[in-house]
Amino acid sequence: MNVITAYSNKANLEQITQDLTQQFGEFDTKMVLFFASSTFDPDQTAAQMQATFNNIPVFGCTTAGEIVTGKMLKNSIVAMAFNADIIEDIDIQVVENLSKGGTQGVDHAFAKFKQHFRQPVLTMDINQYVGIILIDGLSGAEERVMDRVGDLTNLLFVGGSAGDDVKFEKTYVYANGKAYSDAALLALMKPKIQFDILKTQSFCALDQKLIATKVDEPKRTIIEFNNKPATVAYAEAVGCSVEDAANHFMLNPVGLMVGDEPYVRSPQQIQDQNIVFYCNVLEDTELSLLEAQDMIADTKQALENKQKQMGSISAIINFHCILRTLELEAKNLMEDYGQIFSDIPTIGLSTYGESYIGHINQTATMLVFK
Amino acid sequence: MPGKIKDMIDTIIEQRAQGSHIIASTIKIKLILKGINPDKYTAESPDNIKVINKLNKLAEELRLKL
Repeated sequence: MNVITAYSNKANLEQITQDLTQQFGEFDTKMVLFFASSTFDPDQTAAQMQATFNNIPVFGCTTAGEIVTGKMLKNSIVAMAFNADIIEDIDIQVVENLSKGGTQGVDHAFAKFKQHFRQPVLTMDINQYVGIILIDGLSGAEERVMDRVGDLTNLLFVGGSAGDDVKFEKTYVYANGKAYSDAALLALMKPKIQFDILKTQSFCALDQKLIATKVDEPKRTIIEFNNKPATVAYAEAVGCSVEDAANHFMLNPVGLMVGDEPYVRSPQQIQDQNIVFYCNVLEDTELSLLEAQDMIADTKQALENKQKQMGSISAIINFHCILRTLELEAKNLMEDYGQIFSDIPTIGLSTYGESYIGHINQTATMLVFK
Repeated sequence: MPGKIKDMIDTIIEQRAQGSHIIASTIKIKLILKGINPDKYTAESPDNIKVINKLNKLAEELRLKL
């Protein structure tokens, strides 16, 4: 057993860290990844988690809900401990002051990775290294950061935007015993065993196309689709009234198609006749209207396929969009979803967006280990 | 001369992927997310200066020579 998972929803941080330590027992921990409800004080959470596990890398972020082997939780802390047989090496860098713009912080982090691993990140073998990214979910900087990460490396960075239990006030990433807001955490790892990425979104593409003909990119807002007010064109595509359009957002988002695979762009709200999205859409982008499928069946199938492809899966880190969690909640399917992961050590969180090549929405994007 | 955009895209993918099909497909996705869909350009596609400038800028950021 190369990983062990634990969770706790005790009343205070001291009890929680004691509880986690007890569950980890004598496990020879090399690295700890944790996801914590925003109900816990961020500075104390960061300090106490690091102090509990002493001098090893301990990192994580706040959530909009937690996932652990077999369960979806709230108001808890979930953690996964990794031993030296699964993680050979790791370096964690924090990019601060995202709101100041630019991407120099990402370049700086990659220079540090080069120093640590004594190899330029661009020449690293994609089968030997993988990155995790955790980013302030209210920064609006995900596209910019992921775009630069993609420019600087061929390695895959997978992760998510930190949440705050749907309060939309402040989110944090945790590393080095500190809580950082307005920041992104980049963890570059050299696993000792095979790993892969699983991205599933439980949507199928419909024939209706929407071309973003006028956009306000920095505000993640589409002003016109198909040269019509965005809400009018979206309502026409869905086949509903403009007044009813927002009610279809969750089950009918739009997708940037890469072959048959959608990169989901989720509408958030209507402002005047514009539609504000949870991620950026570039002008002239052609999007397909999507239709929700059975999330439980789809996720189960995607996991089974990956298991067959890899032979087996020994650990999962699941970056799970809050919109999917809200849909599961509305359909009373939280337990069913958690059960999908009951046989494999898993941790995860409900995110404010997932990171995989770019910034995406409404997916379950997972880092899986053989 | 039509087809310049396809040539530029092919060069970017080739130089960056160095023969790896997995990296090539990832770069293709990155290009699509950056607003340039490689599948939409052929040897007959007209030379849209806006797209050419975008690809030149991208090549510069990737430190590639087109």
